Amino acid sequence: MNTILECNSLTKRFSNVTALSNVSFTLERGRIIGLLGPNGSGKTTLIKLMNGLLVPDAGTLAIDGKKPGPETKRIVSYLPDKTYLPEWMRISDTIEFYQDFYEDFDANTAMDMLKRLQLDPSRRLKALSKGTKEKVQLILVMSRKADLYCLDEPIGGVDPAARDYILNTIITNYNENAAVLISTHLIADIERVLDDVIFIKEGQITLQSSVDDIRMKEGKSIDTLFREVFKC
Amino acid sequence: MLKKLLKHELKATSRYITPIFLILFLFTILNKIILGLDIFKGMFKGALKIIPGIAITGYVLSLIAIVVVTFVILVVRFYKNLTSEEGYLMFTLPVKSNQLVNSKLLIAMFWTVLSILAVILSLFLLFMNEFDPSLFFGSIREIWEGIPQASRGNAVLLAVEIIVTVILTLINSILQIYVSIAIGQLFNGHKLIGSFGAYIGINLVLQILFTIAVAVTGVVFHSFNDIRDITTLFFPILIVVFLVINGIYYGLTNYLLTNKLNLE
Repeated sequence: MNTILECNSLTKRFSNVTALSNVSFTLERGRIIGLLGPNGSGKTTLIKLMNGLLVPDAGTLAIDGKKPGPETKRIVSYLPDKTYLPEWMRISDTIEFYQDFYEDFDANTAMDMLKRLQLDPSRRLKALSKGTKEKVQLILVMSRKADLYCLDEPIGGVDPAARDYILNTIITNYNENAAVLISTHLIADIERVLDDVIFIKEGQITLQSSVDDIRMKEGKSIDTLFREVFKC
Repeated sequence: MLKKLLKHELKATSRYITPIFLILFLFTILNKIILGLDIFKGMFKGALKIIPGIAITGYVLSLIAIVVVTFVILVVRFYKNLTSEEGYLMFTLPVKSNQLVNSKLLIAMFWTVLSILAVILSLFLLFMNEFDPSLFFGSIREIWEGIPQASRGNAVLLAVEIIVTVILTLINSILQIYVSIAIGQLFNGHKLIGSFGAYIGINLVLQILFTIAVAVTGVVFHSFNDIRDITTLFFPILIVVFLVINGIYYGLTNYLLTNKLNLE
């Protein structure tokens, strides 16, 4: 079985707004998938459903054949689009926290990455800038040997130099057994690392394809295609 | 996993509360010394009077601080750790949401009990000059022997029932805060007001139910005339009522945090 995630007719409403409508797709292991869509298209809702932070109103979602729950959370590494680590913690506390709760977390990998980015583990998160906090979060998330990585806007808040480092980290840190889902609207920066793309618009999937296919058939880059599809 | 949650919960809360325990301890010692010196009289005359004044004020303030901080830990910790951004971390851990609630509840109970013990111990140290354990246990024995043979079983039962009721009351007051927060987090952008509203609303409902219950059962309780009625009727009913209410609070909190989680 190479499928890590399967969605069937997934629907999620918030009072009177339909955030996701009848969404069906699968994600395969060993691929880096871009979840691309404008603001408010349902990207974050979809990722929250995968991580059990929301419960669908209709349809099903299975990760490695199981409904989101403690079992799937064990194998999914999730980067929210928020600064979510408790501010009072030191970086070293967050590493200890991850190590305690995730069997697949490798503290040495995390320490190496911290050193590379010249982050002192004894610093408190409270004292870090927003971009630096995001780097710490990404280091924690990528230091797990997960089956599925869900990265929600991983490069939004960091400088271009760190962006390159982060993308390289993503490419080099995952294994062929894992799938990486990256949600973003900064396509040009991320295009080079993607194997597949999913376009999402107003809560519906409008396209799922491999990047190579798009380049061959359409003869244009993902960025260009995105600008055409989502033209305002 | 509950063990790990408890460990981290303890770590996160103790950094607030241990300093205050320490301050209370220091003020207790300070006041003990000053009260002791007073025997020699005349030490704190005139302007020097300010020293015992400061010591006793500091002592009273640290007693108040222990109560306030413990309460704040109960409320703020749950609210911030589970319904703010930190909820993204906590609710994606490979644990069930009831384990998150359990860990918060157990640590909140632990600190409440410890705070009460600390306050009692401190007052004891300060105002009891000579503590004679044999006298203390002697008077307990006296009370025990004062109870007629036939009622002793009931006395033990009563003691157990009182302890169970106290524990259930403690759990009840904590869970009422938790369920209010779980309801309050449903209101986008007004989570705090929503939580307060839910808390007040729950109290209103309870008061109405209580009034009805008293009216209906008034006749039953009216016929209480000896200790046996209290142990076989009053406390069992009270305990069952608390168990039911606590069960509802706990179930609703878990349901809302699992199925209706609404992180910003």
